[in-house]
Amino acid sequence: MATAVINLEGLLKGIPSGAWVAISELQNKVLSYGADAQAVLTEAENKGEAHPLIVRVPDQASSLFL
Amino acid sequence: MPKAEFPYVPFHIAASEAQPNGSIAYRPLAAATITASNGNSIRFIVMPDSGADACVFPLSLAILLKLDVLNLPKAYTGGVGSQNNPTYYDTVTIDMGEGIVFKARAGFAAAMDTIGFGLLGQDGFFSQHNVEFRHAEKLFTVETL
Repeated sequence: MATAVINLEGLLKGIPSGAWVAISELQNKVLSYGADAQAVLTEAENKGEAHPLIVRVPDQASSLFL
Repeated sequence: MPKAEFPYVPFHIAASEAQPNGSIAYRPLAAATITASNGNSIRFIVMPDSGADACVFPLSLAILLKLDVLNLPKAYTGGVGSQNNPTYYDTVTIDMGEGIVFKARAGFAAAMDTIGFGLLGQDGFFSQHNVEFRHAEKLFTVETL
């Protein structure tokens, strides 16, 4: 299960800052993303993923957090 | 007692005037299942933060958990770059896997939405676990007290 987290930067590459993302941890891939968290979750569930990992691309994803 | 080891997650930081060559930030992130008091749960990213007084999540997560936000107890919180943030509280169960499961009084704040993951703070997380950061090995361990 940890693979998707280790590879989080790679999975989020190309997805706009501020987007909500649903990830399949077993398949190690992005299932859906968009501005509406509920719509992203619903789309992932409709693709058969009962419990996708939800994450939001930080507004300044490539900046240091302090 | 349960003890689990988690890897740090690397993120490339863009070049800036202060760091012309950019850098890599290694963050102690983990996936966890967050279960609200209403029984609904979501898989979400969390990060231990010893500088946080309590556990706090984006407000959007409370909505995904179908919590009745406006009827949750509210307090105002602050952090770096933001103050007087309305924060709504629920008692959640956080399952980080490998037996690391605990209850915490967690806040949900809109100011956290820009960060995109949850912070595990002193009250609820560090109060119930020994946490060891081994940055040189890019690992951190969590042990239930």
